[in-house]
Amino acid sequence: MSLKGSLCAWCLLVMISASQAQEVQFHAWGGSVQVNQYIQWLSKQASQELGISVNHVKLADTSDAVSRVLAEKAAGNNGQGSVDLIWLNGENFAAMKQHGLLHKGWVSDLSHFKLTNPAQNPGMTMDFGVPTDDQEAPWGKAALVFYYNQAHINQPPHNAAELLEFARQHPGRFTYPLPVDYLGSSFLKYIAITQAGRWQSLLYAPVTDEARDKITERMFAYLDQLHPYLWQQGQQFKRQASELQQLFSDHQTLLSFTFTAAEVPAAVSRYDLPASTRTYAMQDGSLSNVHFVAIAFNSAHKAQAKKLVNFMLSVPAQAYKQRADIWGDETVLDVSLLSAEQQALFVPTTAAPSALPAGAYHKMLAEPHASWTEALKEAWFDRYPRHH
Amino acid sequence: MLFQRCLQLGWWLFAVVLVVPVLAGLLGMLLPAAGYFPALGYHSLSTVAIQALTATPGLGKMVALSVSTALLSALLSLAGCITLLATFFQHRGLHRLQHLLSPVLVIPHAAAAIAVAFLLSPAGWLSRLVAPLFGWELPPAFSVLNDSAGMGMVLAFSLKELPFLLLVSLGILSQPALHYTLTRQVAVAQSLGYHPVTAFLKVVLPVLYPQLRLPLLAVLAYASASVEIPLILGPDNPPTLAVAILHWFNSVDLTDRLQASAGALLQVLTTVAVIALWLAGERMLKPWCRQHITNGMRSTGRRGLPILAGMTLTVFGVAMTAICASLILWSVATFWPYPSVLPDDITTIHWQQGLGQLSGPLANTLVLGAAISLSAIVLVVLALEAGRSGPSPGFRLDSMLFVPLIVPGIAFLYGLVWLAQLVAPKAVWIPVYLSHLVYVMPYVFLSLAVAYRQFDTRYLQVAASLGSSPFRVFCCIRLPMLFAPLMVAFALGLAISFSQYLPTLLAGGGQLATLTTEAVAVSAGNSRRLAAVYVIMQMILPLAGFILAWWLPTLLFNPMIRRRG
Repeated sequence: MSLKGSLCAWCLLVMISASQAQEVQFHAWGGSVQVNQYIQWLSKQASQELGISVNHVKLADTSDAVSRVLAEKAAGNNGQGSVDLIWLNGENFAAMKQHGLLHKGWVSDLSHFKLTNPAQNPGMTMDFGVPTDDQEAPWGKAALVFYYNQAHINQPPHNAAELLEFARQHPGRFTYPLPVDYLGSSFLKYIAITQAGRWQSLLYAPVTDEARDKITERMFAYLDQLHPYLWQQGQQFKRQASELQQLFSDHQTLLSFTFTAAEVPAAVSRYDLPASTRTYAMQDGSLSNVHFVAIAFNSAHKAQAKKLVNFMLSVPAQAYKQRADIWGDETVLDVSLLSAEQQALFVPTTAAPSALPAGAYHKMLAEPHASWTEALKEAWFDRYPRHH
Repeated sequence: MLFQRCLQLGWWLFAVVLVVPVLAGLLGMLLPAAGYFPALGYHSLSTVAIQALTATPGLGKMVALSVSTALLSALLSLAGCITLLATFFQHRGLHRLQHLLSPVLVIPHAAAAIAVAFLLSPAGWLSRLVAPLFGWELPPAFSVLNDSAGMGMVLAFSLKELPFLLLVSLGILSQPALHYTLTRQVAVAQSLGYHPVTAFLKVVLPVLYPQLRLPLLAVLAYASASVEIPLILGPDNPPTLAVAILHWFNSVDLTDRLQASAGALLQVLTTVAVIALWLAGERMLKPWCRQHITNGMRSTGRRGLPILAGMTLTVFGVAMTAICASLILWSVATFWPYPSVLPDDITTIHWQQGLGQLSGPLANTLVLGAAISLSAIVLVVLALEAGRSGPSPGFRLDSMLFVPLIVPGIAFLYGLVWLAQLVAPKAVWIPVYLSHLVYVMPYVFLSLAVAYRQFDTRYLQVAASLGSSPFRVFCCIRLPMLFAPLMVAFALGLAISFSQYLPTLLAGGGQLATLTTEAVAVSAGNSRRLAAVYVIMQMILPLAGFILAWWLPTLLFNPMIRRRG
């Protein structure tokens, strides 16, 4: 009885898994309600218009998908991988590219990729200073913005120097995540860039020992002053960007920052942030970068994945993504290349009080060369060695 | 004869299902630890991984933290368990206590940690309650959580493990033969003038403790190697070894994985060391205890223990009530600014949003859990039945059961995924099924082995002497009489399967969404309210399983009801 039963169960499982394997597996961080809903919309559109079914594999950490591809490569699975599409940028891309875990030479063949105007926008083919080499396609743009609690703060800081002054006046009411988090390392880059003075250009070339010393000396001069006034006197740091938002929600901090400005009004409407939250951009510049999607080297559905990416770069999909009430992620398309009718789709609608006002950006700061992410992070952990 | 052969086959199946994944898992940890990782370009054995590990600053502190918090939390939960038992032994309240505590078993560790954090964090309920006294408009800048000694962590572990130890103890004490002897011995002790509490300590405890040792070691192993609670409540300067290993495995620098595998090896050694320390402590205390038992004092612990038991119950009751209340409140809260003790208003949008996304994962969770729990029970019953009649294996098979419990999941699972990739690269359900089974079987085995031990074999002998075949005896006597424990084991298997995060994610390549994978993804996000909805669902599901397990036996195999019907 047990033998027969288990045989039947086995057949059933094989059948189910075979039917599952027909869809494009899109591995993407699943921690944002808005992003999840947008991907749900995307998968519905894809099945209607392209006949491709998409499954959003919600990751707590993008490195989980990297692990999976790595395990598959280790086992010699070179053509039947389970990760088709993966949402990533910066270090994860650099690591996967370095270890040959990505599918090559496909992005420039996509018909909609031209709309990003890659010849004029180097950001579409450079990921944290590392050439994308046709291994990942741009999906959206983000910039570092700050938000504060208006009920307790009248005048938020507008540059790095004022930030230090703010921390002194409100000890314990500001923090940043450990540099293992992308938001944490972005904060370090913001400080490094704004404190670098005449050495700023060093940040846009690969790291050298001399450059590292010059840059980190100034960065730590700032951070050493800041840390005693941070949340928990700088003895504890949160590990994830999302925990930063919870501290703000608890009123433990009164000033915070994010890479997704549209997340703030959305979180207020879900009651996850106080109604008195206000968003703004720093006057001395906002660090900005592009995020991408890539196909794993062993994906079993490369053709479908490419079709899907092409759709993700289409005008309707990009315009819908940019809507503040959907995701609010800035488009990667060069809107000036589009028809007037298409351009109208990208005009912002009226925003909530907590949203970033239109035209709030003063100046954009480009991402330093990718080698700086690791260099700044290592220097940070050397300087403050009690954290891991 | 056929039945015997089936049993043998079942035993072998049990052994294969157990041993192959465990060996694959271990190999997947040992090879990278020895510097062999071809996918990353390391093609020969070397000490590179071990060197990277030993060069980590604060490694000694990490190990020390793992050891001290594991020992302390096991000690605390054991002490709490003993005070409660000593005070309430042979008391009616004990069984009420049992029903009260059982649901705590199904609270996922991460949920318990989140809830404890909400209670004690600077913006937590405690702080909100005392805020008017100090005139706080904003949360205080100091925190009692994430302290470098890991006390918040110890508290959460103890709260979570106390009910487990207590329920296991009650299970042991309810064995008919033991129960009979002990109640009489206690009566004799009392007639000799021993206070009931003292009688428990001197008569029952010495018999109970040796049988409680294995579950205690499981608690120690778990506390020293798990990551959920230390991740949320533990310090990060430095964290426990297990947490550090998890970070290394998740590091974007893929070569950190070598160091992580070496770390996992060290973790196994650490866990073994914790257990060895505990056993050594036991041995050192033994003469003292022995002398204490026979010193003739009639009222040891008479005053102290009931007070301690009261305190344990109070802390426990307050914590559990607050945990449940806070989860429910968060799941319906609108704005909830700092000094307010209650949210401004309530709303159902978090529930609508959560339930709207859950139907698919819920179905996956149930199908998977039922299939796994059922096969685990079949395999374990066959193995136990075969072990009773057949030849005993060359090595202790049961000890293999505990390997998955002490090897850090992430190192172990890497090997499993690698094996599954070799065998069936496109399969999704089968690797998940196998990896869950490896974690479910130990608990099902533990829970059923106790029932098997308690079983009065004279029933079988009587049935056999009346001419029934072994198969008939098994079907008509053994199974119906074991129905209640079988159902409990089934519910336990379901609960364990429901709670698996890493096995589901890694073995299934993320293609199989379950309630737990969704819950963890959401709690890594930024909506605490939505996370509360998921956590409540995570608790309801296994609870429903246990309620069925208690209710069905009274319905189906209860002679009282049958007679009435």
